[in-house]
Amino acid sequence: MKRSTDLVYLHQVSKSFPATLRGGEPIQILESVDLTVQRSRAIAITGNSGSGKSTLLQIAAGLMGCDHGEVWFEHEKLGEMDNRALSALRSRRMGFIFQASLLLEDFTASENVEMAAMIGGSSKGEARDKAHEILSLVGLSARLSHRPDQLSGGEKQRVAIARALVNEPAILFADEPTGSLDEGNAAMVEDLLFSLVRQKEVALLLVTHNLSFARRCDEIHRISERNLEVIG
Amino acid sequence: MNPVSRLLTLRKLGIGANRAARRRVIFNIVLITLVVSILVLAQIFVVSMSRGIADKWALLADGHLQLYVDKRQPMIEHPSIETIDRVGEVNALLYSPDKNQMVRVKGVEQSYFNDSRLAQLTITQSENASPSTLAKIMISTTLAERLAVKIDDRLALMLVSNDAIRAQLCIIGALYDTGYHELDEQLVFCDLDFLEHLFTSGVTVYYEVLTQERNLETVKGDFERAGYMATTWKEQNPALSGNLETSRQAVLAVMVAVAILCGYFISELSSQMVEDDKARIATLHLIGAQPQVVRRAYWTAVMVITTVSIALGTALGILFARQLPPLLATIAARSYSALSFYLLDFPIRVPVLDLSIIASVLFCVSAVSVHLSLRRVSAIDALSCVRFD
Ligand SMILES: Nc1ncnc2c1ncn2[C@@H]1O[C@H](COP(=O)(O)OP(=O)(O)OP(=O)(O)O)[C@@H](O)[C@H]1O
Ligand SMILES: [Mg+2]
Repeated sequence: MKRSTDLVYLHQVSKSFPATLRGGEPIQILESVDLTVQRSRAIAITGNSGSGKSTLLQIAAGLMGCDHGEVWFEHEKLGEMDNRALSALRSRRMGFIFQASLLLEDFTASENVEMAAMIGGSSKGEARDKAHEILSLVGLSARLSHRPDQLSGGEKQRVAIARALVNEPAILFADEPTGSLDEGNAAMVEDLLFSLVRQKEVALLLVTHNLSFARRCDEIHRISERNLEVIG
Repeated sequence: MNPVSRLLTLRKLGIGANRAARRRVIFNIVLITLVVSILVLAQIFVVSMSRGIADKWALLADGHLQLYVDKRQPMIEHPSIETIDRVGEVNALLYSPDKNQMVRVKGVEQSYFNDSRLAQLTITQSENASPSTLAKIMISTTLAERLAVKIDDRLALMLVSNDAIRAQLCIIGALYDTGYHELDEQLVFCDLDFLEHLFTSGVTVYYEVLTQERNLETVKGDFERAGYMATTWKEQNPALSGNLETSRQAVLAVMVAVAILCGYFISELSSQMVEDDKARIATLHLIGAQPQVVRRAYWTAVMVITTVSIALGTALGILFARQLPPLLATIAARSYSALSFYLLDFPIRVPVLDLSIIASVLFCVSAVSVHLSLRRVSAIDALSCVRFD
């Protein structure tokens, strides 16, 4: 049963994809998955490549629908929301980090973060203040007016973290956020991510195949045989 | 405007963007400006030429209004009447030693060639000082060429009427050129006294009224109420004035059609922009931007480009048009026979209404087609940015 304190609640979620572009027998990726993320809790999802980790994260964030089951975010059922409401939810209550930083190329580091703040409803001035504040938290005060192509991979990912957190979301969805970084940078981004998540009391749904990274979370789930098992 | 839209719009316009993006924007502005300037130039050219032809016809051939009266009568007063001249007219055959030509001879008084009429033609006077007893006539250079005569040559003027054939020797005292050969190849001027004295009964006498074109119908009405029989130059030359109006409208229709195509081209431009920015737009959707906010930004950027281009293109077209008269004069000086039906010497007039129609059609068509083409923005899935890497 969904409790009122649950932030994300997946109940009996199933998802399949068509085998080929032309259809054919669909391939079942997830089957009757249950998952609960409570406020300020960090949850790691691991599993083999192709096991459906990203799919699960995207379903939980409302970026993708499921075939069966229910997905709740706070007090709303995502399946019953229209695109407009889902966008509003993403802008204010959710943050995203992916393997690629997905920064807007024509915009500076600061503008990338400001843009997210303005999408979240801040005025231009507020957005600027918030962006500068959070960018200094990720150690990029000196890189405000650099464009993504003038930043290193680790710096870009730190800008992405700043962008994801600028609206003080309830949850951060992170899909292999250190996947494209070298070890040193990965460790640094990892540390930064956890310190900010803890400091701001943001829930975290982290997809990673790096077990030591996963161990820093409060719970570790593993996808195997189309279902989730708790392994830590 | 929403701050997100504003920031996106500015960047799409190349403000604060890198050099490549700015160059793309400038390239598009240059392209649309060029198309618009050509449309504007063509429309100005056609309108100016047809008004030039109309002016020549009204001022030299028939007057804006022709009044037929039995004898000299007091004329009415009207603020927009410029002049009223008494004119006599006969159709006659003009003989040179080798050739002949049917002409329309207009007998006019000294005052006839006032400033507005003089502006319509160039007159070359004879430099021969010794006075001739022969009556002087003024024919066009076109006619002089056709009859193979030059200034100071003699010609025989022969009136063919029902009752008699009367011939009169006269001398070419001056040559004129209107630049419009359709008009001047059969128009001959002489003194009204001479004409009346010579051809008495065969001469049709009427009054030519010059007025402002836009008051033509009211002035005509005034004369008619005062009991005169009045005809406008348009009624006198229905085919010509009809053709001029039709060609103006036809060219405007073509220009409007091209403007519509251009509007469609501009929507292709916005489609291309969206296509290039797919990953960026997906990212914006991912972080929660509403598709209509993104759409508005692209729409505004493209419409700013369009508006700037329309303004620049119009200005450039007018500027080009102002350079036309000297160019046309050079062409006219070569006297290509194929151009003889066209007027090559006319004042440039900017048809404000026509240009506004072209500009607003272009603006409206692009506004709507860009709006429609931007519907594809909403179809860009937020997840597609994750799949791009
Ligand atoms: N849009 C889609 N259409 C068809 N099949 C898909 C689609 N998205 C994912 N899949 C398939 O679903 C399975 C799970 O994909 P998913 O991306 O969730 O795996 P993953 O666990 O994140 O793997 P990795 O660790 O390699 O990122 C894969 O076999 C993939 O090919
Ligand atoms: Mg994945």
